[in-house]
Amino acid sequence: MRTFISLLKANLNVHFGISSLKYRFTKEKNRLWEPIAIIIAILVGGGSILAMYSFFLLAVFMAGQSLGHPEIVITLSFVASQLIILIFGIFYIISVFYFSNDMSILIPLPIKPGEVLGVKFITILLSEYLIALPMLLPAFIIYGAGSWQGILYWLKGSILILMAPILPLVIAALIVVLLMRFINIRKGKDIMVIIGSLLALMVGLGINFFSLNLPQGSEEEVIRHMIESNTGLIEAIGNKFPPSIWATLALTYREWQGWGYFLLFVGLSLLLVVLLYWIGNYFFYKGYLTGQEIRRKNTAISKGDIQKHINRTSSPILALLKREWKLFMRTPVYVMNGLAGMIMVPIFMFMPLIANSEELTQVLNYARDPEYSLIVILISLGIMLFTSSINMVSCTSISREGATFWISKVIPTPPKDQVLAKLIHSSILSLLGLIIVAIPLFIVVAIPLLHLTILIILGFLATGLINVLGLIVDLLRPKLSWNDPQEAIKQNLNAFFSLLIALLVITVIAIASIILISAQIGEFWVYGILALIIVVLLVPSIYGLFSLANFRYKSIEI
Amino acid sequence: MIEIKNLSKSYNKGAVKAVEDLNLHVKPGEIFGFLGPNGAGKTTTIKMMVGLLIPDKGTISIAGYDNAKNPLEAKQNIGYVPDNPDVYDRLTGMEYLNLMADVYKVSVEDRRERINYFLDMFNLTDAVGDLIKSYSHGMKQKIVLTGALLHNPAVWILDEPMVGLDPKSSHLLKEYMRKHCDRGNTVFFSTHILEVAERLCDRIGIINKGKLIAIGSMDELRHGDQAGSLENIFLELTEQ
Ligand SMILES: Nc1ncnc2c1ncn2[C@@H]1O[C@H](COP(=O)(O)OP(=O)(O)O)[C@@H](O)[C@H]1O
Ligand SMILES: [Mg+2]
Repeated sequence: MRTFISLLKANLNVHFGISSLKYRFTKEKNRLWEPIAIIIAILVGGGSILAMYSFFLLAVFMAGQSLGHPEIVITLSFVASQLIILIFGIFYIISVFYFSNDMSILIPLPIKPGEVLGVKFITILLSEYLIALPMLLPAFIIYGAGSWQGILYWLKGSILILMAPILPLVIAALIVVLLMRFINIRKGKDIMVIIGSLLALMVGLGINFFSLNLPQGSEEEVIRHMIESNTGLIEAIGNKFPPSIWATLALTYREWQGWGYFLLFVGLSLLLVVLLYWIGNYFFYKGYLTGQEIRRKNTAISKGDIQKHINRTSSPILALLKREWKLFMRTPVYVMNGLAGMIMVPIFMFMPLIANSEELTQVLNYARDPEYSLIVILISLGIMLFTSSINMVSCTSISREGATFWISKVIPTPPKDQVLAKLIHSSILSLLGLIIVAIPLFIVVAIPLLHLTILIILGFLATGLINVLGLIVDLLRPKLSWNDPQEAIKQNLNAFFSLLIALLVITVIAIASIILISAQIGEFWVYGILALIIVVLLVPSIYGLFSLANFRYKSIEI
Repeated sequence: MIEIKNLSKSYNKGAVKAVEDLNLHVKPGEIFGFLGPNGAGKTTTIKMMVGLLIPDKGTISIAGYDNAKNPLEAKQNIGYVPDNPDVYDRLTGMEYLNLMADVYKVSVEDRRERINYFLDMFNLTDAVGDLIKSYSHGMKQKIVLTGALLHNPAVWILDEPMVGLDPKSSHLLKEYMRKHCDRGNTVFFSTHILEVAERLCDRIGIINKGKLIAIGSMDELRHGDQAGSLENIFLELTEQ
C-alpha cells in the first residue's frame, strides 16, 4: 500500500505537472502574468460555455416538469457525460496505459501490474472529473433546487456524481486492456483512433438528426418537443447502458427502492474496479510487451530503387512543406481532428435535403433569392470560417514537432521560411475546408459561381489571418514535451486559444459586415471593404509572425 | 575552426551553473575529444555550439562564423548528432535523408554518392525504405548521423557518438573521422569512454562541474610522465 501511494503521488505529480507549476508560481515571479492570463481566459471562455449549458439544462428541466418528467435533466446529464467519458476514455487510456514512456521504468519494479494499472487509472479518473463535474453538477443542482429535495438527495447525489466517471472509464479500460492483449498495439491504436472518431461522428450525426425534427414555435415548445421525441432515445441508451438510468432512479425514488438503485450503481462500479485490477494483473504487461514490436515491411528496397528515390531535389521550403504534410497525414489522430470535423459540417448542411420538410424549403427559397444574396454570402462566410478553423493545424504546428524540434533549430533554413512552410500547410488544409463547405452551398443553396469565388477568396484571406494568429500562439507557448501525438493536439491549450481567436476574427468580420450593410452601399463594395479590412489585419500579422519566428526559433530551448 | 570564448550557461535562474567561463580553440584538421563525468556540462556546451541553447555569456564561432550573428552560415558548416536521436518516426529513412539533403541544399550527384556510401558503411540499405518508427536506437543514431553528414560539413559536432553504435559501425565511424580531419576539417565529440579519446583524439579537453580543467594533446596532459594513462589523469583531475 505504501508503494502504491508513493507511486500514485509521483504519477500525479508528473501527469499534472505539479512540480513545474509550483516552480512556475514561486520561482518565475516576473512571468507570472502568463499563467494568470491563461487562467482568466479559461475562466471566461469556460464560464460562458458553462452558463449556456446551465441555461439549456434549466430549459430542459422546466420542459420536463411540464411533461411530468423533471428527472429527465438528470438522466440526460448522466447519459451524456458517461457516453463522453466512455469515448474519450478509450483514447486517453490507450495513451496513458500503453504509450507513456514511464512504462520501461515501471515494469522492472517489484510492483504488481494491477497496481501500476490502478495508479494510472486513478490519474485518468481525476482528470475526467474536469469533464464530469461541469456536466453533472448543474443538472444535479437544478433538479435538486427545483424540486425541493431533502438532505438525503444531496448526500446520495454527491456520491453518485463522484462515482459517475468510474463506470464508463472502467469499461473503456477493460475494452482496451483486453483488446491490446490480442492485437498489435501500434496498429491497434491507429484502428482504435479511427473507430473512436467514427463513433463520435455518428453520435454527432445522430444528435443532429434528432434535432432536425424540430417543429416551429417558441423555444420552450421546441425543447419540449425535443424531449418528447428524444425520451425514447435517452431511454434507449439507458436500456443499452442501464447504469445511467440507475443514477436517476436512485435519486428520484424516495424509499428503499432509491437506495436499492443507489447500491446497484455503487456496487457495480466497485465490482468492475476489482475486475479491472484482476484482469490487469493477468493481461496488462503481456499486452504491453507483445505490442512493442512494429511490423516491418520485409521488402527491402533494392539498390536501383534507392537511386530512384534520390533523383530529385526540392527547395528547403518545399521540402519542409512535404515533411509537414507527411507527418500530418500519417498520424491518424491529426487527420481525424483536422479533417473529420471539416467533413461533418457539409454533411449537416446536406441533411435538410434528406429531411426535406416544408419550412426548410422555405428557408432555401429565401436563401436563393438574389435580394438576400449579400446576407446569405456573409452567413456562409461565417460557417466557412468556423469550419476551416476548427482543424487546429496551425495552432499546433510547432507543438506537433515535439522532441524533434531540435532538427528545426539546427538546420540552416531561416525560421521565416520554416513557419512559411507551416503556414502553407495549414492554408492548404483550410482551403480544403472552404471548398468542402462551398460544394453544398453551390448545390443546395445554389449560390452563383461569381459569389462562390468571392466567398472563397474572402474565406481564404480570413482563414489565413486565423492561421497566422494560431501560429503566433503556438510559437509563444509550444507544447513540445509529449509522448503520444494526441497530447500535442488534444491536450494542448493552444487549440482552445486558437478557437477563441477564430471566434474573435469572425466577430470582427460580423461587426464590420453589419456596419457595412446598414450603410447601404453596393454589394460588391461590401466585399471589397471586407477584403481590405482582412488584408490590413493580415499583412502586419504575417510580418509579426516572421519576426517572432526569428526570435522564438532561437529562444525556445530544447 | 571552432572558437569558444568566455562561454557561460546556467539553468534555473542561475541555480545550476552548467558551464562556466569556458574557452576553447579547435584547429582545422583536429579531432577534439571533450571529456568529463556525467553532468559535467558537455551536452550543454554542445547544444550552445549548435544553437539549441542560448549562452548566458560568451561567443562561439564555427568555421569563422559567429553563431549568434550569422547563425545560418554557422549551421551550414555544422554536422550535429545529439546524444538522443529523436527523429521523425513517421518518415522513412530515405525520406528523412532527402529532407536533410534538401534543407542543406545538397546537389543530386553529391547526395546520391554520399547516401550510398553511408548506407553501405552503416549497413542500413535494407532498412532505409521503412518508417523510422521501426528502427532500433542504434539505427536511429546512424540515420541521424548520415543526415548530418550529407552536406559534407567542415565541422562535426557529435554528442556521445559511440554509445549506441555496434563495434563495426563505431570502428568505421572513427576511421571516417580521421579521413575527414585529414582533409582539413574538424571533429568535436564528447565522450566518457577514455580509450576512444586516448587513441583517436589529437587533443583533449576535460570538463568538470562546468569548468574546463585541462586541455592539450595526450603528451601535454601527461606532463611528460609517460606512464600516466588518461584514466589516471582523468581521475586525478576530476577528483577535486
Ligand atoms: N534542461 C535542464 N534544466 C536544468 N538543469 C539542467 C538541464 N540540462 C542539464 N542540466 C544540468 O546541467 C548540468 C550539465 O548537464 P549536461 O550538460 O547534460 O552534462 P553532460 O552532458 O556532461 O553529462 C547538470 O548538472 C545537469 O543537471
Ligand atoms: Mg551529455
